[in-house]
Amino acid sequence: MEGIATTSISLVREHTEKVKPPRALWVPFPFGHALGRPDDAALQHRVLRAALELLSAPAGPVLRDFPDDAEGSDQPPAPVQASTIAPATDVPRDVAMETTQMRRYHERWLETSGGRTACGLTGIPVTRFRGVVRFLEEFADGGDADMTERSADVPLPNFVRYCADDLKALYYEGHLAMKSAAGGEEIARWFWGETAAGQLLRRVRNRLDASDDPRWKAAAFGVAR
Amino acid sequence: MPRLDRLSQIARNNLLTFPAQVNETAPFVRLPKPLEGCRLAIVTTAGLHVRGDRPFAPGDQTYRAIPSDTPAVDIVQSHTSIGFDRVPMLRDVNISFPIDRLRELVARGEVGGLGSRSYSFMGAQREAARIESETGPEVARLLRDEGVDVALITPT
Repeated sequence: MEGIATTSISLVREHTEKVKPPRALWVPFPFGHALGRPDDAALQHRVLRAALELLSAPAGPVLRDFPDDAEGSDQPPAPVQASTIAPATDVPRDVAMETTQMRRYHERWLETSGGRTACGLTGIPVTRFRGVVRFLEEFADGGDADMTERSADVPLPNFVRYCADDLKALYYEGHLAMKSAAGGEEIARWFWGETAAGQLLRRVRNRLDASDDPRWKAAAFGVAR
Repeated sequence: MPRLDRLSQIARNNLLTFPAQVNETAPFVRLPKPLEGCRLAIVTTAGLHVRGDRPFAPGDQTYRAIPSDTPAVDIVQSHTSIGFDRVPMLRDVNISFPIDRLRELVARGEVGGLGSRSYSFMGAQREAARIESETGPEVARLLRDEGVDVALITPT
């Protein structure tokens, strides 16, 4: 048959059994850890080799299990969500000031990561994130908020979501600069439990979710759940 | 993913009720030559793209092309699901998009080469008809035109 040979990595075995792709390697790692562990080239190569070995199969579908158990990570199988984390009683209230403080850690992150950052979905530079915070606060308060940086073809709820993602990236990467060994669960508990930004995003989520528009509800689901 | 019995009840139900497509079989293509002579490209469902490219939106069934020589620092993720841990991706793009590992395999002669571009879709799609009829076949044609023999498909 004419076409391109494919091999794939599967995270949900039960779904792969239904879809039946030609070749799939099921791995026992948590969501977000498809190749095993970040910065672990040896484990990533073992996963990659196991997926590429399936290419020699003469017929399919082939679904094989990666031999290791969930040794790739000490993280929970799925990330902890905001609704399961109670905010501390002494969470700071000034999000803009906190964001400015986080920028110092974020600059350190950029130095160690070689400039790599997940910020950038809004196109607004980190140096102007106080403006993003003001926009999100006004939005959460029910105001008719918008930003000139939103292009006309990006619906408002999608833009709100990108603002939330950029802000989260600033904090998560800043936290990694403070504590390089921190895992996703620890950072999520800090962000949703101890930061003013986390509480702001809970309020943003509430306004999006209160809408009858399914596009707003979808954005809410992506900001916090 | 860890086995279903290790997930919370809510996460387990979300997965079990997810409308995954049910197929009876798969169109199987044999490897045309040994892997060390093949050109390979990544097709990921991690919602990745070059910084400044249009982010993915909820339910977005379009794709983004990522030139294979894009530095890892210029790749960002706008997957609209928070059902996965983003921290590994913040640390190392290879966790879903193993471009550095593949370059190493090419340097060692284990893979013939990389296609000129990789492609990204967004995963966690509850409705994928447009990917199946339009954007998926379009990416397959592009890969074929770019001389790609093997696609490695990765999730997040």
